[in-house]
Amino acid sequence: MEAPQYVAARVQQAMAEDGRTHELGIRVDIRGDQLFLRGQVSGPGQRERLGQVAHEAAPELHLHNEIQVVEAGEPGEDEHLD
Amino acid sequence: MSILTDLRIAAVGDIHLGEDDRGRYRKKLEGIEDRADVLMVAGDLTRHGTMEEGQVVADELRGLPIPVVAVLGNHDYHSDLQYEIAGELRDAGVVVLDDDGTVIQCGDRKLGVVGGKGFGGGFAGKCASEFGEREIKNFVAHTRYIAESWKVALKEIVAEERVVLSHYSPIKETLEGEPPEIYPFLGSYLLAEAVDTAGADLILHGHAHKGSEKGMTPGGIRVRNVALPVLGRAYAVYCLDCEGGL
Repeated sequence: MEAPQYVAARVQQAMAEDGRTHELGIRVDIRGDQLFLRGQVSGPGQRERLGQVAHEAAPELHLHNEIQVVEAGEPGEDEHLD
Repeated sequence: MSILTDLRIAAVGDIHLGEDDRGRYRKKLEGIEDRADVLMVAGDLTRHGTMEEGQVVADELRGLPIPVVAVLGNHDYHSDLQYEIAGELRDAGVVVLDDDGTVIQCGDRKLGVVGGKGFGGGFAGKCASEFGEREIKNFVAHTRYIAESWKVALKEIVAEERVVLSHYSPIKETLEGEPPEIYPFLGSYLLAEAVDTAGADLILHGHAHKGSEKGMTPGGIRVRNVALPVLGRAYAVYCLDCEGGL
């Protein structure tokens, strides 16, 4: 059986290199047959695509897509550099 | 010094626009002319560096009421279309820096902006050096060439204030939050060393989504990581006090 560290590395690489996602900053954790994705993306479409790519890279694992969608807020207070 | 006479720089990086984002970022830039004199975009404008995405970015930034200066990031290089994307942005009125400089007239002041994508290599004491295999030497030589270009451009530019715009980070401090193991892929101290030697008032960069906003070079130049996920807002605004300097 493949060590979970190698499976996690393969999933991470797939999310970075797959043309549908190209997302570099997603954390992958594997516990038994459970695969967890964590991180932040800017839209729900990207979260879904990451789940799909991760699932294809490790279809034998049960996927938990815990990636958060974070929308950019209004510009806040200025910073004065004096 | 009143706020009105400060030079107001809006900055953001890593907007990563895809084809389904058309019109979304532009909405967040409404009214930017009341908040800032210039917008600087610190690379990773696209997701995969395709022409279609480059066109989305160009349309989002086209015709803004304030000047826009941008550099590309590693994502914008992914499809080997970086020159075409830069051309598309320039056609839309964006000044795209590629290891060179530009002077923006802001009211009665001249703001010099120098920069480019930057590159990695790591930070003093824990970095790659030009030694051994050709691939490693090429990696470090690329960063060294960029740093040297910035130094020359900074020395040559004639402006009252000087800002450096990069994608990769010149310091470790603004990477805090990222795993230390990947720091060599996030920036290089050679960039900071060059800017410290030539002098500047502010360095802006992106790339490190999990990093921290604020830091400083060993020479005391303020550094801001303006990656959108770090800011959590459409852009930040930094005011340079033109009388007092930094």
